[in-house]
Amino acid sequence: MAAVEELSEPDDLTADEREAVQHQLFRLADDEFVVAERYTEWQVKAPTLESDLAFSNIAQDELGHARLWYDLLQDWGAEESELIWERDPSEWRHSTLAELPFDEGDWADPVLRSYLYDVAEDIQLRALQDSSYPRIRDRVGKILGEEDYHREHAANWLERLCEEEESRARVQDALDRLFPHALTLFAPTDEAVEERIDELGIRSEPLVTMREEWLDEVIPFLESLGLSVDDAELPEQYDVHHSQLELPEHTGRDQSHTDAWFDLHDDFTHTYQELGRTSAERIMKDPDDE
Amino acid sequence: MDIEEVKQRAGPREFSPKDEMPEKYRKAATRMIQFHANSEIMGAYLEKPFIRQAPSLDRKLAFSAKVQDEIGHGQLLYRAAESLGIKTRDEMLDELAEGKGKFLNCFHYPMDSYVETPMIAFFVDGAAMRRQATLKSTSWEPYAHAMDKVCFEEGFHVKHGEAILYELMTGSKKEQEMTQEAFDEWWPRIIQFFGPTNEKSTHHGFASEVGLKQMSNDDLRTAFLNAYIPKAEKYGLEIPEEPRISKNDDGTYEVVEEDLDWDEFFTIAKNDYEPGVGQINGRKAAQDAVEWVRESLDSHENRLYGSSQPQAAD
Repeated sequence: MAAVEELSEPDDLTADEREAVQHQLFRLADDEFVVAERYTEWQVKAPTLESDLAFSNIAQDELGHARLWYDLLQDWGAEESELIWERDPSEWRHSTLAELPFDEGDWADPVLRSYLYDVAEDIQLRALQDSSYPRIRDRVGKILGEEDYHREHAANWLERLCEEEESRARVQDALDRLFPHALTLFAPTDEAVEERIDELGIRSEPLVTMREEWLDEVIPFLESLGLSVDDAELPEQYDVHHSQLELPEHTGRDQSHTDAWFDLHDDFTHTYQELGRTSAERIMKDPDDE
Repeated sequence: MDIEEVKQRAGPREFSPKDEMPEKYRKAATRMIQFHANSEIMGAYLEKPFIRQAPSLDRKLAFSAKVQDEIGHGQLLYRAAESLGIKTRDEMLDELAEGKGKFLNCFHYPMDSYVETPMIAFFVDGAAMRRQATLKSTSWEPYAHAMDKVCFEEGFHVKHGEAILYELMTGSKKEQEMTQEAFDEWWPRIIQFFGPTNEKSTHHGFASEVGLKQMSNDDLRTAFLNAYIPKAEKYGLEIPEEPRISKNDDGTYEVVEEDLDWDEFFTIAKNDYEPGVGQINGRKAAQDAVEWVRESLDSHENRLYGSSQPQAAD
């Protein structure tokens, strides 16, 4: 790959550059925030005290990552209140995989969801390690370190659940439902802006390539557990060697969402609204000072 | 060892699983630790909705961590209780689900608004911390040992609660009013946290004779009021007129007992108080819904080890 030119400091970016960086950051920040928001639903509800503790750790890691990415979005003057608490739900850019609700007791879903999500996150973060935007590059390393544990945790659980026919059937159900939404992890926010992200070297791999890499990793693993991805509908655009792939109606990335997202948004902004807050209290150090 | 010897030797961290303890001691200690462990789990259940409804990212992280800590405390305490050989953890968790497991009065009341969270995280946790600090020198060593970690983490929880209280009481007029209303509602329950006066407590005598319990309810209540009345006032909260509380010359407090609703308290103690029943059943429903996972794990363990002993995944 040709060497790319280093981008300037936040304030010195051109409007086009800034838009590209912001799209990349919203992809990252919104995914982490919303997936963690869902994961925390399992606190006090996980199957054992041990799995409760482990999954809480993962949720908190993802929230911590969201904090790092939203912090970079604050470089242009927006506060946390505007980025999270007062932003219209129809402006969020997370993948719909992150926002889907869980059925009560459906532990197969969070386990599979975190596997699909964490493999994708790992691929996307590695494509940011040589980012032309230094502020992103500097934060990737810390996050990548934590992701190994997440993938291991999810893969171990999947292996166990897939040993038994009955629990494997539950994982299969979750797979049929989640797989199309997982593909939206690699959907574009906006075709032109995504191309610019690649041209500017903000990330080193285009979405299509990362999606193929992801499919090449997750499909053999899932099949080795006796699961079938044939029933899942796979999208056909960008197809290289996986045909019949279809994205769900809403991809999230393009700011279209499922109804569940709007309910979730109402719920997590409830106190902020009820108390008529206009700012979000920071209690931890600024990530730049950590 | 007979009961007389237990009473003679009773001292901080005096007994451990290496000692042959009489059944009466083991049962009393199990009752106390199981109550404590159940309270951690039900406290976590009560606060969980505010992970979602916290009004900032940092607060959300703090609530998630606090709820996680409480589950961790439950885990530690059930282990300490199991070491007495009376009940297994699964039996105790089943009892909690079936409404037979007892836990703190304050965790039977629902919390509807964020402004209520410091009532638990500052006042109730603050009260619990006083009791727990004395339990570092309880006579059952595994319990005392668990308290080292629990107390350390509770220190952070109380700071978290205090910071939220400060934030609310320096916030808008509406926030201040809502917080005062929540305080008016919770204050009598918080006083009742320490239970009735000693005469009415059936288990106190034996538990303190064998060194399980270190301080009487009255002494704990006095210590709490000494510390927390000034703290509440410092943050601008008004102490409700009832229950009437007067300070004696020796620094102790007198709470007018008839100002408190002891019928409600004893209904709660029997797990019969309606909102609390809803909380117990809500937790049970969530646990029943993941029974299939535990069964799947048991099969996994059986295949690996050929044993029928259920084991937990990590």
